[in-house]
Amino acid sequence: MKLTRRTILGATLALPAIRAARAATDVMRIAIGTSLAKLDPLLTTIGDEYIYNNLVFNGLTRMAADLSTQPDLAESWSFSDDLKRWTFRLHRGVKFHDGQEMTSADVVALFKRLLDPASAAPSRSNYTMVSGVTAPDPYTVVFELSSPYGGFADILSDRQVKIVPAGSAAQLASHPIGTGPFKFVSYTPGDRLILARNADYFEPGMPKLQGVELRIIPEISVKIAALEAGDIDVLWDLPLEQVKQLGGRSEVRVDSVPTASWDAAIMNNLIPPFNDPRVRLAFQMAVSKADVVDLTLFGQGAPTISPIPPTHPFYAHDIAFPPVDPDGARKLLAEAGHPEGITIPIVVPVGRPVRERLGVTLQQLAKPGGFDLQVQRVPFSSYDAEVSGKAPLYIDGYFARPTIDTSTYPFLHSGGSWNEKLWHYSDVGVDKALEAARLSGDLGVQKTQYIAMQTALNANPAGFFAYAVNFACAYRKSVGGVTTHPMRWFDLRTATVA
Amino acid sequence: MRAYVLRRLLGVVLVLLATSLLIFAIVHVLPGNVAYAILGEYATPAAVATLQQRLGLNDPLWLQYWHWLAGVLHGDMGQSLVMDRPAGPLILDALGRSAILAGSAFAIVAAGGIALGVHAATHQGRASDLVMTLAQFVFIAVPDFFWAILGVVVFASWLHLLPATGYAPPADGLLAWASHLLLPVVVLSIGLLAHVSRLTRAAMLEALRSRYVLMARAKGLSERRVLWRHAAPNAMLPTITILAIDFGLLIGGVVVVETVFAYPGLGRLLVFAIEHHDLPLLQAGMLVLTAIYALANLAADLGYAALNPRIRYGAAA
Repeated sequence: MKLTRRTILGATLALPAIRAARAATDVMRIAIGTSLAKLDPLLTTIGDEYIYNNLVFNGLTRMAADLSTQPDLAESWSFSDDLKRWTFRLHRGVKFHDGQEMTSADVVALFKRLLDPASAAPSRSNYTMVSGVTAPDPYTVVFELSSPYGGFADILSDRQVKIVPAGSAAQLASHPIGTGPFKFVSYTPGDRLILARNADYFEPGMPKLQGVELRIIPEISVKIAALEAGDIDVLWDLPLEQVKQLGGRSEVRVDSVPTASWDAAIMNNLIPPFNDPRVRLAFQMAVSKADVVDLTLFGQGAPTISPIPPTHPFYAHDIAFPPVDPDGARKLLAEAGHPEGITIPIVVPVGRPVRERLGVTLQQLAKPGGFDLQVQRVPFSSYDAEVSGKAPLYIDGYFARPTIDTSTYPFLHSGGSWNEKLWHYSDVGVDKALEAARLSGDLGVQKTQYIAMQTALNANPAGFFAYAVNFACAYRKSVGGVTTHPMRWFDLRTATVA
Repeated sequence: MRAYVLRRLLGVVLVLLATSLLIFAIVHVLPGNVAYAILGEYATPAAVATLQQRLGLNDPLWLQYWHWLAGVLHGDMGQSLVMDRPAGPLILDALGRSAILAGSAFAIVAAGGIALGVHAATHQGRASDLVMTLAQFVFIAVPDFFWAILGVVVFASWLHLLPATGYAPPADGLLAWASHLLLPVVVLSIGLLAHVSRLTRAAMLEALRSRYVLMARAKGLSERRVLWRHAAPNAMLPTITILAIDFGLLIGGVVVVETVFAYPGLGRLLVFAIEHHDLPLLQAGMLVLTAIYALANLAADLGYAALNPRIRYGAAA
């Protein structure tokens, strides 16, 4: 065949024919970033897996997009006056995907497995206050706690505590069974996870979709192209630098919501130079958090004092961020015995671009205040083993937790489980406020205590809490009934694709 | 000849053994381990210690290696530690999809590369040769991820002609499956095609200047016969070597293209295994990949003998 202009034109016109038609209607295709490692919800640790958890399974309670706790498999609950005995009443007639009825025995089995150290469940440390779980009848579960815990119903909405059939643990990795609005069909690592509508879902009239596909697409430019071409309907976790850019397209809707996920410059409080509180204070004086948000997050976030985000009612709005004061910072450093300022490496995680950017931003902004930071890049996969809790200064961050207690106590209490992995921080005022807050079921008391905690932390910082970061998703305009959830998962019970 | 092949196959087994030892050692030298990878942001010291115990990571290294080797000798590739699934089926599924991608690209590279190379050599200095030379340099110099992104932006984003990603399960229909494959195959092919055709051109030019070609022409043979019976078989030797290496590369080494097109092939699965320190999965994948490389090289060596009567293996000289 001779290659003429006509044959080229002909070939181009023929191409649309080989473009696949939309495979099935009413199936929502969501692009995620990485392969799911675990299909057993109890063992999941990353956001991509949490999306799946919330589609295939239910917890006892559910966290709505406004962060309120609502009934899920438990239709109601009550607690004793001392907050140590919690009773949950289950929905009757809820069926697992294999047709068996879900009862209290399944709930008890799950929590026994969670609390057994041999299961190595990652989130076990969040539930160490549970001393016993019993099932007085098939539709009632009673939790006995070793200490009062006001937010217990809230933490049962968390990502890992999803109810699965008792005795099914071994098969969850290959054939997961839950009670959720969608049933597991198949999973090809590196490609896609396919879910189908659960026709026997216990909430009437839900779900609306015929199915959901989680497509694993690592490359962001390809995800955006696929969204524009209509190959996918939802782009989960849109990089923040794309929010404004993609927001202008006609066929696409971009949604960016505040969350309680935070990043910080972690300072090791045990070793010089950050074992001196004056050095940590000098760092706060040297850097403007508002500038950090602009430079690192392109404005998609807000400065914060602690893991409590400014959008939360317990945030201490009375504490203002002072204007930057490089001279004051240098003076304070001199008082602490560093008249020439401080030269120190700052470790940043390769593979977490926002946190890498935070490190470079701080390097630039802290310089006039006497901090000469040298950026060291370490792969994120070796971070836990090499850097966490060891390096004097490094960038890290944590995703939102379901309650203010789980967001703050483990990280800032001197005996907190995460504190030893981070800054080894200890402050009497912070400890007292955190303890008092978790002993009360009263929101007013909790608010007072958490504001006291932020005030004490602000006076004696553990490190440099930079910001609460936004979470963004992009949707084709054909997608309806989905709210971008600050916990980075989806509630697709009422979702539709036109 | 048979003795030679048997000797070479024994060599392949030794190479596999050596590779597995090397990978085992490297994974243990890398900072962190699979327990950290599994626990992620929940890796408190206590949780890491429990999980290490459960996964047998506290056993002496030689014992861990022996457990793995004994399993493989019994046909058990082991269990992916991160995914809690048997490693064998995971690897074989990915290998099957890689083989489709690699096979298609390889066919284009082998046939196209040789044809274009021979054409360029016989039209040396003419317009088509010059245009091809220019194109070859561009395609060799510019890395394939650039063409991959460009292809996605132009054909998926702007023209809406092709899907942005590179894989659809055959269950979606043959047309969908093929249209998804088109971009990745083309992107994979162009760089290697440029390379192979360039190499073939050089070898052909040399062969065409040789005395035996002069002799063949002097005998009055047709130019076509001179070209394909006398010059080409001799010029093919370096091309075959490169093609054998390319085949191994296409099966497991095209991580970038697989990542860009979200193609669930062997390369990406291996990167997943490396990132998560998932030793059984990595070992199983590398075992398969090393075997393919070694066998492709053996095939290339046997190919030499078929093309050039002066090369004979096994028989006493």
